[in-house]
Amino acid sequence: MKSSEKFGKNIGVLTVALLVFVGLLTLVPLSTSRAGQKGNEAKGKFYFKQTCKSCHIKGEKGGEVTPLIKTQAQWQSYFAKGKHMKGTEPLTKYMTPEQLNDALTFLYNHAVDSPQPETCGK
Amino acid sequence: MNRRGFLKMATEGAVGAALLQTEACRAPLHQQKAAKDIVPRLEIPTTCDMCVNKCSMIAIVEKGVLKKLNPNPENPKSKGMLCARGNAGIQQLYDTARIKHPMIRTGERGEGKWRVVSWDEALDFAAQKLSAIKEKYGPQGTLWSSSESFQEVFFRNLSQAFGSPNSVRHPTLCLASVNLAYSVTFGTVPSFDVQNARYIIMSGANRLESFITPDTMDLIDSTTERKARLIYLDPRFTKTAAKADEWYPIKPGTDLAFILAMLNVIISENRYNKEFVSTYCTGFGQLAEHVKQYTPDWAAEETQIPSKDIFRIAREFSDAAPRAIYYAGRRSSWSRDDFSMRRGQAILNAIVGNWDRQGGMVPNAKVELGELMFLPWDDPVAPRVDELDKNFLLAAKGDGVYLKLRENVLAGQPYPVKGWMIYKQDPMSAIPEQEKTLQMLRQMDFVGVIDIQMSDTAWYADVILPESTYLERLDPVEMLGGIRPVVLYRQPVVKPLHDTKPAFEIVQGLAKRLNLSQYFDYTMEQWIAEQVKPLPMDLPLDYMKKHGVYSPPQYPKYGSTLSPDHRFVTKSGKIELLSERLREAGYDPLPVYHQPSQVPEGKFRLVLGRHAFFTHASTSNNPWLNSFSPENTLWIHPKPADSLGINDASLVEVASGVGSVRLKARVTPKIRTDCVFMQHGYGKRSPWLRLANSGGSDAQLIETAWDKVSGGAALHETFVKVRKV
Repeated sequence: MKSSEKFGKNIGVLTVALLVFVGLLTLVPLSTSRAGQKGNEAKGKFYFKQTCKSCHIKGEKGGEVTPLIKTQAQWQSYFAKGKHMKGTEPLTKYMTPEQLNDALTFLYNHAVDSPQPETCGK
Repeated sequence: MNRRGFLKMATEGAVGAALLQTEACRAPLHQQKAAKDIVPRLEIPTTCDMCVNKCSMIAIVEKGVLKKLNPNPENPKSKGMLCARGNAGIQQLYDTARIKHPMIRTGERGEGKWRVVSWDEALDFAAQKLSAIKEKYGPQGTLWSSSESFQEVFFRNLSQAFGSPNSVRHPTLCLASVNLAYSVTFGTVPSFDVQNARYIIMSGANRLESFITPDTMDLIDSTTERKARLIYLDPRFTKTAAKADEWYPIKPGTDLAFILAMLNVIISENRYNKEFVSTYCTGFGQLAEHVKQYTPDWAAEETQIPSKDIFRIAREFSDAAPRAIYYAGRRSSWSRDDFSMRRGQAILNAIVGNWDRQGGMVPNAKVELGELMFLPWDDPVAPRVDELDKNFLLAAKGDGVYLKLRENVLAGQPYPVKGWMIYKQDPMSAIPEQEKTLQMLRQMDFVGVIDIQMSDTAWYADVILPESTYLERLDPVEMLGGIRPVVLYRQPVVKPLHDTKPAFEIVQGLAKRLNLSQYFDYTMEQWIAEQVKPLPMDLPLDYMKKHGVYSPPQYPKYGSTLSPDHRFVTKSGKIELLSERLREAGYDPLPVYHQPSQVPEGKFRLVLGRHAFFTHASTSNNPWLNSFSPENTLWIHPKPADSLGINDASLVEVASGVGSVRLKARVTPKIRTDCVFMQHGYGKRSPWLRLANSGGSDAQLIETAWDKVSGGAALHETFVKVRKV
């Protein structure tokens, strides 16, 4: 094979590899479910209350949302999909990926099947 | 007049008097003032703080002086009740032995030499010390310990904003095992509808003597007026035993054997609630198999309760269901297996189907409060010093495990902890093996205490930041969930008498100096305003100021969780008779009985308890309460007392593996021959306290042991020698 042909072939391989890599990147959710467990729970509560709870309260269009409406696996799955309003818009419209990660941590740690031993006074 | 009539009359009288006063309270304040210009009299609704029950009360203030504290019957739980401690709250305010100014130590720790300083100097000092420790050891080098209080949230927020993972609270010295056992089983800790029960079993939980609470009043009501049957298990013949229908001097540490045998009878005789179990529970088949080995005959050997009585009580209990309860109790820091015992209780309660039924266990209703929101701090980087994630996988993270934490701090593992801030807590009295607590204090570079009195711990502090009492300050609103949930208001009834501050202002002062002001940049009024926003009345703050308490009228409600699609907050969504979560964490998924350590020859098991006048360290120093019981005694049965030459009021020495104390004996047949008993909280070191050197300190005697699941201290696992002095 001539050197020019070899070069062209290498470029082609590299191009394909690059395209595959970019393609894979678009499939990776902006907030990963595994990372959600390691976010800041206290900040997550703040973001959840400040952002989500502005609509998701009883009697409002979004319906009431509390951590108890889903299991831990369901919260992970929801955030992994990263979509809101029945899949019509991304969650990142409302929060940054880091904030979403924190919110997921809060919701995950207080989900309906989470271990939450009660305590005295608080 | 018989006992029943007396109690009824006393209660009605208290309610009647309180109602008259409530009517006066409803008159607008300006009219009260106008009518009483000569002797201005105010009736200010507020909330007690002498124990965890937070009864509502009305303060009678004349010319700026607090004259009397009365019950506020608008609270549906405490109603017309304000116990001896509640009434004695006046003396917490006027006690001449209070700490009146900030102070910094001048001599050695424990020498008792102090100089009075300004708040600026005290706060500067504390902040500099904390900052120096942070610089040298990281923020994890500081420990922040506190007990429940309406203002505790600010102290805990400061510890987290500072960056320390090391907060520790009181539950592993008290009710951690109950909380965890019921949380694992039901996903929550329910309340017990004592007032409406028809059959009540209590293991310890000496409600008619050790801790007078609204539950006490309900118990009196149900056992006298409504004729509920009370079965009481306790190594001592207490006042509760005296009022019970049956008392058994159970061998300490064997309550789980009794419970497992009851399960054996109820399941084998098909006396459990089949429909409830099949609809709401998991793990029944494995439970049924598991308890086959725990027969009443076997349990009789363990507990020393006759087998025929175990059979009969099990049958009566199931017959009375759903209005039958095995009362959970509160202080569950008895044995190394306390968690398993409380799990057994929870399971027994579950299978008779008393969940969410009148006279049974009722999940707590809540009232939603608002919250002042601000962007909080970053998470701490270091793991907790008590290594909860390694040692106590299911324990409540924010509470910590006190005894394990102390062991690690003393060992300097996994890292050094050299600063200790303490709020409303007296570790020297509260934690067993006092000598180790003293070592822990001594090895600190800095100890700062926020308290109202010179406790034994404050005595060893470097700086004391005196808090204003609950009668002198405005607190956050607090919601207490329950069968009848309440929202409580606490407002000052007099101006602060001394140079003290509420904990909130102390925290703000420290935060300013630690560059953490952004997390405390609001007033108490702003905090409260956010809290009361969701309440249903037009002007919620005005309502709370006028009434002191709000309880939604629709309660009690029973049965709201009794629908097949209700999801319990457990892993499976059901009531977990068998817990997979426990199994995954390496613990027994069903409660397994382990025989308690046997009492060595020539020794006694030391059992602790309290009485109605003292609940916390602050109450024992209260002048009025102290006068009822200025010293404790060692209860000992006449038979061993005789063989040791001990008479009533003899001075005796009690020695364990970690310390010895001297106190007077009380020779009484009201205790098992293999046990001795002393009341907790005496024999203080601080000369400022009325209990200084008065009686014997249990903290000096109790050896370190804990429950491996909850981390709860095992305070009844110490064996002592007793001799006449």
